[in-house]
Amino acid sequence: MEYALFLGCTAPIKARNYELSTRRIADTLGIGIVDLPEFECCGFPVKSAHYESFLLMAARNLIAAEEAGLNICVLCSACAGTLVEVNRYLAENKKTRRKVLSKLGKQDGQYGFANNIQVKHLTRVLHEDVGLEKIESMIKKRLSHISLAAHYGCHYLKPSKIYDNYEDPENPHSLDELIGVTGAESVDYLAKEHCCGAGVLAINEDIALSMAQKKLASVKESGADGIVVICPFCGAMYDENQKRIEAKFRAAYDLPVLYYPQLLGLALGIDQKLLGLNMNRVKVDSLLDKLA
Amino acid sequence: MSKILVVDDEQVMLDGCKAILTKTGYEVDTVLSTEEALRKTEVTKYDAIVTDLKLPGMTGMEFLEILKDREPEIDVIMITGYATVESAVEAMKLGAFDYLSKPFTPDELRGVVGRAIERRRLLREERSKATKNRVAFEYNMPVDLYYLPEHSWVRRITEGTVDIGIDDVFQKTIGVVTNINLPSRNTIIEQGNPCAEITGVAGRVYKFLAPVSGQIVEVNEGLKKERSLLNTDPYGKGWIARIRASNLKGELANLLSGDAMIQWWLRREIVERKTDRYVQISTLDPNFKHEIAQEPGGENIKVCFGCGICTATCPVREIDSAYNPRKIIRMVLLGMKERVLKSDFIWLCSTCYACAERCPQNVNFTNIINAIKNIAVKEGIIHPAFSAQVDLLAKHGRLYEVDEYDNWRREKLGLPTLWIGEGSAGKVFEASGLKNILPTGR
Repeated sequence: MEYALFLGCTAPIKARNYELSTRRIADTLGIGIVDLPEFECCGFPVKSAHYESFLLMAARNLIAAEEAGLNICVLCSACAGTLVEVNRYLAENKKTRRKVLSKLGKQDGQYGFANNIQVKHLTRVLHEDVGLEKIESMIKKRLSHISLAAHYGCHYLKPSKIYDNYEDPENPHSLDELIGVTGAESVDYLAKEHCCGAGVLAINEDIALSMAQKKLASVKESGADGIVVICPFCGAMYDENQKRIEAKFRAAYDLPVLYYPQLLGLALGIDQKLLGLNMNRVKVDSLLDKLA
Repeated sequence: MSKILVVDDEQVMLDGCKAILTKTGYEVDTVLSTEEALRKTEVTKYDAIVTDLKLPGMTGMEFLEILKDREPEIDVIMITGYATVESAVEAMKLGAFDYLSKPFTPDELRGVVGRAIERRRLLREERSKATKNRVAFEYNMPVDLYYLPEHSWVRRITEGTVDIGIDDVFQKTIGVVTNINLPSRNTIIEQGNPCAEITGVAGRVYKFLAPVSGQIVEVNEGLKKERSLLNTDPYGKGWIARIRASNLKGELANLLSGDAMIQWWLRREIVERKTDRYVQISTLDPNFKHEIAQEPGGENIKVCFGCGICTATCPVREIDSAYNPRKIIRMVLLGMKERVLKSDFIWLCSTCYACAERCPQNVNFTNIINAIKNIAVKEGIIHPAFSAQVDLLAKHGRLYEVDEYDNWRREKLGLPTLWIGEGSAGKVFEASGLKNILPTGR
C-alpha cells in the first residue's frame, strides 16, 4: 500500500500538525508514503474563475503521480475534490484531455488518468483501503471517556457524483466510524453538515467567521469535548480562528480541534509530541486530562 | 448654501428674482441668455435653474432639453407668460420640475424653488443612507389618475366631474402642512393657474395649480379640520376640490396618465439612479444563459424551475441575504448579464455544494456560479482576492511562499523539506491564457 502524498498548499505551512501526525500514523499502519517534488497547488483556487487553468494545474499533478505509478492520498479536502474530479474528467473526455496534454507539452495516449491512478482523501484511504478492522487491531489505547464531534467538511464527500456516491453526504458515517474505532464517542449534533466558511474567507471575513461560529456553537451545545477535522482549511477556521470568533461573538467555546490522524495517533500509542498536539492553537489539555 | 441660476432676457426680472431668492438664503447667479446659461452650467453646479419659457434665440424648451440631456438630475422651473399654460405642462412632461405663471409673487417664487431644493435634499438624504433605505423616496402614484407630474392629479368621477388634489412629490416636498386656503364653491378655475394656497412649516406658501379648468362644485371641508390628510392620504381623503370641468377631453390630453405616466415615472427613477430596482429590457442579454450553458459546469442552467431549494440550503445565504442562489439564477435567466457579472455577490459562494446535492433538477448551482465567475474574469471583472491568489500561485506555485526558515522548522519536526522557487503555475497560466486576462498582465 503506497501512495504519493499530496500535501497541497495549506497543510505543509499552516497545518504541520496534520502532516506530522499523518506521516506518523502512516508509518505505524504500514502505509507507504512518497513525496513527489513535482506536486504543486492542485488548481482549486482558480477553478471558480478560470476553468482551463484549473484543469491544467490539476492535470500536471495527476501526470506526476501517473508517471511515478502511484495512487494519490490527499490531506486537504479541496485538493482531493479537485484531483478526483479532474482525474475522472480527463479520463472520460478525450477532446479536453488532448487539449490539456498538448498545453502541458505531453503526448496524448500516454496518460489514462482515472483509468490508471486513483485519488483518495486520507480519510477514505483509512476507512476503505486500510479498513476499520486493521485499525482496530492496532489500537493500543482506547480513548474512552471523550466525546467528539466529527466535522466532515464539504469537499470530502461533495459533490457526491465525483465520488461515485461513495457516501451519502446528508448522512455520512466514515469519520464517525473512524472516531469510534479509537474508543472515543462520536456525538451527533445539529450543525453536523455545515460548511466551515473557509471558502469565502478571502472574500468576506464576516460571513466566513459567522459560518464557523454556527458550528462551534452547535458542537458546544452537543456537549462534545472537541471537534475532529480532516481538512487544513476547516482546521484553520475552527482552531486558528476560534479565539477571534469567541471575541467577535462574545462567546466562550474552548473546543479543542484535532486532525483525525492526531486522534488516531493517540489511540495507536504514538507519543503526543510526534503528533504535533503542541501546535494546536486551542489547547488540547482538557482532552488529554480525560484520557489520562 | 443652495445655488440657483435665473435665466431671463429682462434685466429687471433677473434683479427681482435675485433679490427675492438671495433674501431667502440662496446663492443666485443671473444670465440674460440661454447660451450664457449653458456656459455657466458647465463650470458651476446649480441646485435649481429658473428660466423663462420664451427667450430669444434658443427657446426655454430647447434649453430644457439640452440641460436635461447633459445633467438629467437638474431641477428646472419654467416661467411662463400669458397663454402658455399648455407649453408649461408640456415642459413638465419633458422633465421640468414646475412652472410659474407671470406675474408671480415673491412667495410663489420662494415656494416653488423651495420645493425643488427640498426634493433634492430628500434624494441626497436617501442616497446617504445605507442601501436598505434606498426606497425612502419612492413614488406612490395610483395608475388610474391623470397627472400634472410632480404637482397635481385629476380623478374622473362622472362624465364631466372630476376631483383634484396634490400628488406624491408635491406632498413630500412641502413637508408638514400648517394652513390651507381652499377656493370657494362656484369659483371658476383655469388649468395651470393657482387655485389654492398651502402653507408649510416656516410659513412658506405654495401655490396649487389647477390641473383642469371648470367650476368648483365642492371643496373638501374635511381638509380644513384635518390638514394632515394632505400628507397622509393625498390621493384619497386629502382631495382638494370637485370640479365640473369645462374642457375635460382637451385638457386631459395635456396631462399624463396610464402608460405615459409610467414612462415618465420610470424615466424619473432612472434619472435618480434607482435603476437597480428595475429590469430594463434594453439592457438585457437573452444569450447570457446560453453563454453560461457553454461553460463547464453551466450546462444545466436552463432546467432550473426556481424551486428555491438551493437558497434554502445555502449556508452563506443564512448569514447574508445578498447571496441568494435562486435570485441569481432568475437574474441569469432574465438576461441581466451586466448586473450579475458586476455584482459583488457572485464571489460569495463558499463552494460547499449543499445546493448541488439537494437540487431536484441537477442544476448544480456551485458550478453555475463558477461558470458565471469564469465569464466575469474573461470580461476583465476580477475580484482582487482572486487576483492576489493567482499572483501568489504564479510566483511560488503555492498559495504561500516557502522560505528557508519554513524548511528549517520542518526539518526540526522531522518533516521533509519543501522545494523553494517559482514552480510551474506561471507557465500554466501562460498556456491557459489567464496571464493575459489579469489586469496586471501577469
